[in-house]
Amino acid sequence: MWSRVLVTALWGGLMALERRAFLQAMLSRPLVASTVTGFLLDDIPGGLYVGLVLELLHLGGASLGASQADHDTLPAIAGAAMAAELGRAAGTHSTQAMWALAVLVCLPLGPAGRVLEASLDRRARKYFGRALTAAETGNSQKAARQNLRALWPQFLFYGLCCGASVVVGRLMATGLGALPLDLVRGLAWAYPALATGAAAIAVQGSHARHRFLAAGVAGGGVIFLTLKAWYWGAP
Amino acid sequence: MTPALRGVTLWRVFARTFFLQAGFSPEAMQTLGLLYSLEPALRELYPDETVRKEAVRRHLSTFNTHPYVAAGLVGGILFHEVRVARGEEPPDTVRRFKQTLMGPLAALGDGFFWRSLRPATGALAAALVPLIHGWAIFVYIALYNLVHLWLRGQLFWLGWTLGDGIVGRVSAVKLPTWGDRLRTVAAACAGALGAWLAMRFGLHVPGGWGTPLLSFGAVALGLVTVALVENEVKPLWVMYGLAGIAFLAGALE
Repeated sequence: MWSRVLVTALWGGLMALERRAFLQAMLSRPLVASTVTGFLLDDIPGGLYVGLVLELLHLGGASLGASQADHDTLPAIAGAAMAAELGRAAGTHSTQAMWALAVLVCLPLGPAGRVLEASLDRRARKYFGRALTAAETGNSQKAARQNLRALWPQFLFYGLCCGASVVVGRLMATGLGALPLDLVRGLAWAYPALATGAAAIAVQGSHARHRFLAAGVAGGGVIFLTLKAWYWGAP
Repeated sequence: MTPALRGVTLWRVFARTFFLQAGFSPEAMQTLGLLYSLEPALRELYPDETVRKEAVRRHLSTFNTHPYVAAGLVGGILFHEVRVARGEEPPDTVRRFKQTLMGPLAALGDGFFWRSLRPATGALAAALVPLIHGWAIFVYIALYNLVHLWLRGQLFWLGWTLGDGIVGRVSAVKLPTWGDRLRTVAAACAGALGAWLAMRFGLHVPGGWGTPLLSFGAVALGLVTVALVENEVKPLWVMYGLAGIAFLAGALE
């Protein structure tokens, strides 16, 4: 298990940096980061479907001006790691019930990640102070280098949180294994509700002028085609 | 006369703009990142330590803009710094350039990249999951970064070659118009995917006669979600509420 904790921690730390401090090429978006976590932990479907819900949920979120959006990467990586660990404990890939459980446990990590980010930002003041001092003494290289020193705490704290999610997943597996079948079915039912709810939040968060019309037409078309395939067999 | 910057220095500055937000703090915001980006150029333009100290000081006032379009500002700052180093412009021109443009460019970047391109490519990739499964993440990264990296490079080059002329060129691209279209794509893809997820997982979930109803229940919950979120109910509570209702229905089925 400890090798999986290490891999998840390293990946989580890197993605936390990619999210804002470096590159921002969307590698840290929930759909991508979570699927890759699934790949690293040998459970791609789990990572993909946990990431899908969280991608939709956070689709409209953006840090604009002084307002900070919830952290989307932390719940995605932690959720995928938990789902993979739940599946591993059951001796299979993760199931729909496990994805729902992982998403539900990791949802509060979005606001928690935002709070952690804000506190690390406040901590970064000291690097700016050091840069000012270095600039006053004419050492421009040292002043500029302070920018990179702020990367370490972010890597460390988010990495620790992601690594811990593997351990939590392992602990949760014991509880899930002891649940009566009715409750496991309840969790399995929760997944489509979570996914549809997240999609509805994404429609609202798209800020498109005709968002309800666009979503209604596209969604209606999909429902029609799915029912057609279900009742009369897929073409 | 001080020579223009070497190509390798321009590349180094451009590469460093990818670290613009590494040292972000509430008061200084991206100032540390800007200094980090410009430092190789300032060292080359001002070999004399006293003059360089003054140049560094010019870039220690609060700087904050959209991290991608910042590349254009950094290019423009270099455009002016070269002229300041040659004595063709007063040092205050650089400060004015920065202060005037960082706000409007931030609004443009936020509106296009964060509110349009990212939701559109994210929703499109998510909507492709039913068709191409995990490969959808490569579509996401490729589509997004094709636009992101191209625009970032272009903006840097325009800033470096045109200085203040970057404003005219950027407004000619009509990013807000493209943003409107992309947001509609995002809404349509999210709607289609929501319906697919409700159908796919509702119809295949373990259970008895009630399971097909789960699909329509999930669609109905989606509609309720829209109404709740439109009325400013926190998405997190909505998600727990939805899960709770579906959980109870599933457990009692």
